[in-house]
Amino acid sequence: MENFLTDIAELLEEDEIREEDVLEDFEEWDSLTILSIIAYTNEKYGIQISTAEINKSKTVGGLKKIITGKM
Amino acid sequence: MNLTFHDKKITGILTVLPSNIVKFEDEMDNYNFSKAKSLKLKLAMGYNTHRIVADNTTVSDLCLYGLQYLVEKKYLKKDDIDALILVTQSPDYFMPPTSNVIQGKLGLKHDTICLDINQGCAGFEVGLFQSFMLLEQEEINKVVLLNADILSKKVSKRDRNSNPLIGDAASISIVEKSDKPNVINCNVKMNGDAYDVLMIPAGGFKLPSSPKTSEMKEDDAGNFRSLDNLIMKGDEVFNFVQREVPPMIDSLLEKAKRKREDVDYFMFHQPNKFMLKKLAEKMNVPYEKMPNNVVENYGNASGASIPTAICHNISEEIRNEDMLLCFAGFGVGLTWSSILMEVGHLDFCEFVEFKKEGE
Repeated sequence: MENFLTDIAELLEEDEIREEDVLEDFEEWDSLTILSIIAYTNEKYGIQISTAEINKSKTVGGLKKIITGKM
Repeated sequence: MNLTFHDKKITGILTVLPSNIVKFEDEMDNYNFSKAKSLKLKLAMGYNTHRIVADNTTVSDLCLYGLQYLVEKKYLKKDDIDALILVTQSPDYFMPPTSNVIQGKLGLKHDTICLDINQGCAGFEVGLFQSFMLLEQEEINKVVLLNADILSKKVSKRDRNSNPLIGDAASISIVEKSDKPNVINCNVKMNGDAYDVLMIPAGGFKLPSSPKTSEMKEDDAGNFRSLDNLIMKGDEVFNFVQREVPPMIDSLLEKAKRKREDVDYFMFHQPNKFMLKKLAEKMNVPYEKMPNNVVENYGNASGASIPTAICHNISEEIRNEDMLLCFAGFGVGLTWSSILMEVGHLDFCEFVEFKKEGE
């Protein structure tokens, strides 16, 4: 998970993000970003995650936790 | 499930497109998203223009137009047609079968099997192997396979999830017995547990359309649709395709004892550019071997999307050469299916634009 924060920041078009940041507060947050995250986790970690799970994770750290739990 | 067929061929493909072209930009104001976000979506998904039927055009209109064109061009003789298979999810009526309506209007002989099949994204594959099964019969030599849908009528114009990608079209494929021996490998799987991943909830016998089912409601992502509209769980479709399609193709190739490099083109169903690119990456197939440009030019017309991809990308090659093609369809049902077969030296492979009488 070492590049997790920089990869997610890139998908969100942000320079830097922190684990406590709330996902839906990001300017770029929409269904396309969610799909990009689904595709990214599939490619990078070989796991499948749903829109509902991503929305429920609330924060960047929450997202990380869900992904780690599925690995 | 694996299916194997022998000594069958496709001899021609025609795709009928409505003449009405709608641009993504012209519909952006319908969506509850900023212009910048919609343009970003356009770029990622490959949205641009799509073909949409005029209000009163039906599936039988598109099919009849194409069939009459083939008869006039002498590509097809009416008396040679032994079976008419129509794969659609937007039939003219609940009853009778729309294929019977087409048979009558075209004036085909009574010795014709007419069959409507309710399939969508995998409709080309399901229609093909149904055609192959009929061709096992002594008295059936030529099957006309129609893949036609006008689902734009069921998609909410305010649904950014589905509206930009939908297209209307009909394709006509001629399937025949082959004198040259060949082997056709197919496989198909279905998962009815996930029947609600792609559906039109109202309008059937379980929930007839009513003023209540036509009420527009906003979902979590800001799309507006009613129960009369098509709904697609995009994330579940994406995950399903990434999970099921690559192993399905591996298993098909293994069964056929062929390598990935032997395949000239992976002509896959066309949901959107993004999904096809991710699929090509996962399967280690170069993008140019798996065309992904149907949605941006015409929209996704479910079962007609593979014939459309063939007519758009390899029309000339496929009329002059033999090629090993791998077809795959995936979606509503859920259904996923693939076919590996030699296709080539087609009598025709082209588009025709549908025009109403007097236009």
